[in-house]
Amino acid sequence: MSLRLREMTRTGGLQLVCLVISVGFFALPLIYLALQAFKTNNEFLNDPTGLPHSWTMSNFSDAWTEGDFSSEMVNSLLYAIVPDVITLILGVFLAFPISRGWFKHSNALYGFFVFSGFLPAGLIPLFIEAQKIGTYNSRIGYLIMTSLTGAGFFFFVGYIKTIPREMDEAAALDGCGYIRYIFTMIIPQMKPALATFGIFGFVAGWNNLILPLVMLNDQSLWPVTRGLFSFFGQYSSQWPLVSAATIIVALPILAVFAILQRNLVEGVAGGAAAGSRGVNTAQPVENNE
Amino acid sequence: MSTIPFGTKRTRRWLPWASIAVPTIGWLVFGLFPSVSTVFFSFTEYSGFPGTPLHFCGLCNYHNAFNSSWTDFSTSVTVTLKYVAGVTILQITIGLGLALLLRHRRRGFGFYRALIFMPQVFSVTIVGVLFSLVFDPQNGPAEPMYHGLFGSTSAFLGDQTWALWLVIMINVWMFAGYTMLVYIAALRRIPPELYEAASLDGAGRFRTFRHITWPLLANATTVNVFLTAMGCVGEFALIRVLTDGHYGTKTLGMYMFDTAFGVNPSLGYGSMLAVAQFLITLVIGSVLLFFLRRREVTL
Repeated sequence: MSLRLREMTRTGGLQLVCLVISVGFFALPLIYLALQAFKTNNEFLNDPTGLPHSWTMSNFSDAWTEGDFSSEMVNSLLYAIVPDVITLILGVFLAFPISRGWFKHSNALYGFFVFSGFLPAGLIPLFIEAQKIGTYNSRIGYLIMTSLTGAGFFFFVGYIKTIPREMDEAAALDGCGYIRYIFTMIIPQMKPALATFGIFGFVAGWNNLILPLVMLNDQSLWPVTRGLFSFFGQYSSQWPLVSAATIIVALPILAVFAILQRNLVEGVAGGAAAGSRGVNTAQPVENNE
Repeated sequence: MSTIPFGTKRTRRWLPWASIAVPTIGWLVFGLFPSVSTVFFSFTEYSGFPGTPLHFCGLCNYHNAFNSSWTDFSTSVTVTLKYVAGVTILQITIGLGLALLLRHRRRGFGFYRALIFMPQVFSVTIVGVLFSLVFDPQNGPAEPMYHGLFGSTSAFLGDQTWALWLVIMINVWMFAGYTMLVYIAALRRIPPELYEAASLDGAGRFRTFRHITWPLLANATTVNVFLTAMGCVGEFALIRVLTDGHYGTKTLGMYMFDTAFGVNPSLGYGSMLAVAQFLITLVIGSVLLFFLRRREVTL
């Protein structure tokens, strides 16, 4: 009996430690920020660390109108979804022939793509280039730039290899065209991989700050992250208003996270397994002669 | 080389090429070309204002880095190295600690893991604003705590001695969840028989960790250290929001951003800084891989 009691206090203690760490360190700062959003500015200045007394909602509506977040939300959605979808589809089109070894030097090409990820950051030349070819300060231009930088297909190559070649041949014999085959067979087969990368791509696209900072000058083109950044600069002394704006910007991504957290967490664990294989063995792509 | 089964005899030759054409051209134009031309621009004097000439000047930017701009340059290199070392060491330690704590499948652990991973999905803007509030010297909650502990005041993110370490900690706060998940995935692959054998041999917790867990985590450690270190050499978005590179937080990336897109832009000198950052990445990366992978082999 005393053994069970000790066991129980031990698990209880462990649970407590985990709860304190995860909630105390990782959730509490956000909760604290959220609480400020319900205070009036005077209330905040008088008692910054206390709970809100009146629970005012006006900060949210004020921030929403003054920060022009409604149009920025639309921009953000556009900047997150369009490049994400295009990158995934183009990634499959790129990975499919490479993984099948339909080129003379598909290994070399693959290696070259991987290698290029280690080259110097190209932000400055990209800025110069964008001004020359007209993608600077333009919504379409920004979408083109972010849709076509297309990394992230590396994992697809390995994934497509698990889809048997016999399927290609059977489909081709039955008269299925190349593009139709990719859309009706390969892409549905790759759903788990595409979902994982799609989620990460969406989050990355939504969260990007530096590229909008450099490439988008017009306020009407800004995504919410960029909008919040300048809102913060403008109203830095009015914490309740800034807190409300931050919560507005954080909520959509928090909702996405809450719905998809299981997939995200598993995606990282799975990707880690794939990644550790990649870094350690660094095997070249198999080439079936 | 296998042949493509799709298409007619005539289309077979170019069908794979057509398939990769758009993504490859896009990558060449918006990925590889800017990346490589950073090196070209680092040999030029160019302000970036439309209409101003681009003047090729050889190694002038490199010369400046070691002469007229030496103080700024060497400081930013030192800050970058401190930043990389600080983030990597802290993140690996904390990530491993959290992974050991939350490795098992118990009630509530999925929730804790999700909470710890959560900051990852936020934009640096959100995290930046959040911690600017927490460390606000007038109204933030950190101030009374600090005052209670040390009896003095601090400007936190506006404090020369504290700012860099706070930024490092905030970076770790944001990304420790990722490290933790990689470690948990690796811990799950360790065969439980090893632990049974160790406990039969009477090995204590510390010895089990020292002789079984830690060596078997070598792969995961390589991945974690490499990804963390490589990921933060060029990091400056978070710094841009938190301190804008003031108070001793100007990493090479931040310095580059300031130089290229600040008040008196110099895209040439900025490109040189990007090249310098690349060289540092290369050196740190190869040294890390060399040591970490040797460690794996000697197991």
